[in-house]
Amino acid sequence: MHRINLTIKVNGKEVTLKVGPKERLIDTLREQLNLTGTKEGCSIGECGACTVILDGEAVCSCLILTGQIGGSEVLTIEGLEVAGKLDPLQKAFLDYQAIQCGFCTPGMLMSAKALLLKNPHPGREEIKTALEGNLCRCTGYEQIIEAIESVANK
Amino acid sequence: MIAYDFFTTQKLEEALDYLDRLEKVKVLAGGTDLLVDMHKKSPRLPPISYLLDISNLEVLKFIRPADHYVEIGSLITHSKLIKEPLLNHNFPLLVEAARTIGSTQIRNRGTIGGNLVNASPAADLLPPLIALKAEVVLTSKKSERVLPLEEFLAGPYKTKIEANELLTKIKIPLLGDHYYTDFQKIGRRKAMSIARLSIALVVKIDEKSIFQDVRVVPGSATPYPQSLSKVEKAIEGKSINKIDLEEIGRIISEEMISITGVRWSTPYKKPTIAILLKRSLEKVIKESKTNA
Repeated sequence: MHRINLTIKVNGKEVTLKVGPKERLIDTLREQLNLTGTKEGCSIGECGACTVILDGEAVCSCLILTGQIGGSEVLTIEGLEVAGKLDPLQKAFLDYQAIQCGFCTPGMLMSAKALLLKNPHPGREEIKTALEGNLCRCTGYEQIIEAIESVANK
Repeated sequence: MIAYDFFTTQKLEEALDYLDRLEKVKVLAGGTDLLVDMHKKSPRLPPISYLLDISNLEVLKFIRPADHYVEIGSLITHSKLIKEPLLNHNFPLLVEAARTIGSTQIRNRGTIGGNLVNASPAADLLPPLIALKAEVVLTSKKSERVLPLEEFLAGPYKTKIEANELLTKIKIPLLGDHYYTDFQKIGRRKAMSIARLSIALVVKIDEKSIFQDVRVVPGSATPYPQSLSKVEKAIEGKSINKIDLEEIGRIISEEMISITGVRWSTPYKKPTIAILLKRSLEKVIKESKTNA
């Protein structure tokens, strides 16, 4: 089993990696790069806890082998805060109490961020579609949607 | 534990060369089915010695008009299908089906080629593409062949693709004037839903309001999606003003059961497939009247 050499950009920084043939993006992020903000929930693309932004698109990092994405750009929850300043979405999640246990939150934020990067002023239905693949089992979705709406309406 | 070696390439020729030279190669595109099967150690997964990643073959990412067809590269994601004006204009039922797949994250990675080669009985793109009489282009190092999609399927999760072939292109013939289409899907919930039952309908309604060239393809109704010729014939030649939709409903239910036999899901699917077809027919009838 040979290891694969590749370079990707993670949160704006280039990293050169050696990855195994079975190593998923979530494994690389959490175990090689110590970016443990990205959570592993179902491991089969149904819960969205592991959502990151890959070349501008929200994806499940449990359904991608790192060997597939040499040359790509990944944005994780750790990349949202810039120079000690929270992303407006992070601030809104706090203001609207859109968090309870917090396990789904990184995925929710990355799905929301991917949406706003493409469409800064989405409607409620567009927000719901963007969150289709993200499950939350404690707060309910209402505060989450309201938090995203508050940023979208700015 | 699945042990395999991993290859990725940006060149189609190289990918075809790997397929030609190596044995027990599994092709990886978007990974939204394969990585799930690998994680679950699905019994459907064959022994794998090599995993060949084709997701970086840019040459298979296109949607373009060609003579009387629209051609779609096999690596086009569901998200790209949904956004493409050419498809929205010509084949709205295909776009509608793509919209119902998984979630935003799944649609951003999953590909049309993967949906066809995985050949799930519930694959959302199969019913509309069969109803559109789509063809698939299978390319190997030395040759290329074209198969009608309906013939390409060989069973649930089975196709006629050879070990050295790659599905490179899907060709959809343009519909002429007076064609109407619809896609309906029922899942257990709105998002992330596997089709419990779906239906793709393509019909021509001529100037005299008569149904012609009827194509009815349900999903999750038969072991793998196929067109239902009895109900198609029953609709053909009927006037949109005189068609007995209740009778058509009975015919499609019977035709489905003649293929599947009575199964645990039959008490649900028997009336439901009739209702789905009725809804689709009502929709195209209404549209044709608005156009007349």
